[in-house]
Amino acid sequence: MWMVIIIPVVVIVIAVWLYNSLITKKNQVMNVFSTVDVMLKKRYDLLPKLILLVKAYMQHERSVLEEVARMRSQAVSDRISDDEKIVLDNKITKALGGIMVAVENYPDLKASQNFLLLQRAMNEIEEQIAAARRAYNAAVTDYNNAVEMLPTNIFALVMGYKLKKVFEISPQESEPVVTKDMQINIS
Amino acid sequence: MKTLEDLINFYNTVLLPELTVLEKERKAIVRKLVISVVIGCAIVITFFLWGYYKNIQEPLLILVPVAVLWYFISFKKQNFIDGYGYIPTFKSSIIARIIKFVDKNLDYLASDYIDDSDFIRSNIFNIDHNVYVGDDYISGKIGETEIEFSEIFSAYSGESGTNSSTYSHLIFKGLFFIADFNKNFTGRIVVLPDKAERFLGRLGSKLQSRNRNRSHLIKLEDCEFEKYFIVYGDDQVTARYVLSTNLMNRIMDFKKKTGKSIYLSFVNSKIYLAIPYSKSLFEPRLYKTLLDFKPVQEYFENIQLAIGIVDDLNLNMRIWTKQ
Repeated sequence: MWMVIIIPVVVIVIAVWLYNSLITKKNQVMNVFSTVDVMLKKRYDLLPKLILLVKAYMQHERSVLEEVARMRSQAVSDRISDDEKIVLDNKITKALGGIMVAVENYPDLKASQNFLLLQRAMNEIEEQIAAARRAYNAAVTDYNNAVEMLPTNIFALVMGYKLKKVFEISPQESEPVVTKDMQINIS
Repeated sequence: MKTLEDLINFYNTVLLPELTVLEKERKAIVRKLVISVVIGCAIVITFFLWGYYKNIQEPLLILVPVAVLWYFISFKKQNFIDGYGYIPTFKSSIIARIIKFVDKNLDYLASDYIDDSDFIRSNIFNIDHNVYVGDDYISGKIGETEIEFSEIFSAYSGESGTNSSTYSHLIFKGLFFIADFNKNFTGRIVVLPDKAERFLGRLGSKLQSRNRNRSHLIKLEDCEFEKYFIVYGDDQVTARYVLSTNLMNRIMDFKKKTGKSIYLSFVNSKIYLAIPYSKSLFEPRLYKTLLDFKPVQEYFENIQLAIGIVDDLNLNMRIWTKQ
């Protein structure tokens, strides 16, 4: 007799627990993504200053700078989806890496105090973005595992949860770019 | 960085004359100690013979000789060492010189140690202590990085309720190191040796995530690092900001270099590091000659290891807003 009551209760408790764990994982992804967003906004605030500073020196990279400015305007607009943000972020990261490497060809620019300060700020934000992306990827992996694995995948299917994209981070992109002048300052 | 060859030259020119003077003191202490032990043994034997002759079968017959021997070996030993000022002299003339030889910017206070409040703030050992002592405090600046370290002994002793017997629980004994971290951050990240996950696998990981004494469990993507360390932190992003992939590799390399379990924490832009040692690191030998190069090399290597943390963890890399 007791078994008739106990078994359904246990089944309901397990079902609620699985359902809640799935919701928690989804919310965790959203929460960390909002942190990535905050970090990216910080970077977008700094980008115009960087472009303005380097534009005066970099004659050959004008098209790259214009492209970065265009991507920045696109990224700060509210109309793009999270997946589009990830794609844009990857492109901007790559372009910024290229600009920082090109700085080596402009001795006056890389020796400028303003540029060094800006570069420190950029490095810090890039490092924070890298950390936020890693945290996001960890949360997404956790979430994707739950969406694909039994028994939570049954709930995910019913709730319409889909796999989420992770940030692709190459080892070069995750390391800060340090110009030779900055290295001299360090040593 | 000073090399072993530099140390050999320094040993022959500067340390050896000082050690020769100290060696005479050491021999005098040992001589006095041997005489004391002989006297102690004579008293004990006399006591036994007297008991045997009088046919006394009392527990005192055991306790009194043990107390006498203990007095002569432990108390008198300390008495002689203190009387000669053997340890302070050794530290001021040998250890202080080795430290200045390693780096002129370092300061040494033999009887000082890392403050209790810093030890607690590190949050590495999440247990209250009522015994906290230490010595050999070294501080200074290596490049851009302020450092300080000392030997620490931390324990909890109390009385057990059932039979009122005292017990002592060792919390930490070894080298405790603090440095200015090269990134600005607020919050707390604790990196501890991971025993549970290595032995229990996923179950260990589950148990760790439910550790109520610690903040959130941080699962990092570096599998090798995860195998040896467990990370707790207030915030997932800050923990990753502090523990960059590069720093994780460097911590792994440092662990391999020391061959010991290392404990780290990062609290409000400072790094705390604890390396357990079973023996004292900068004490003079008593029963072996001081004129041996090997212990000098050990003192030198221990200091090099501690100040080398700055380079090993790349703390002088100041490419962020903190300068």
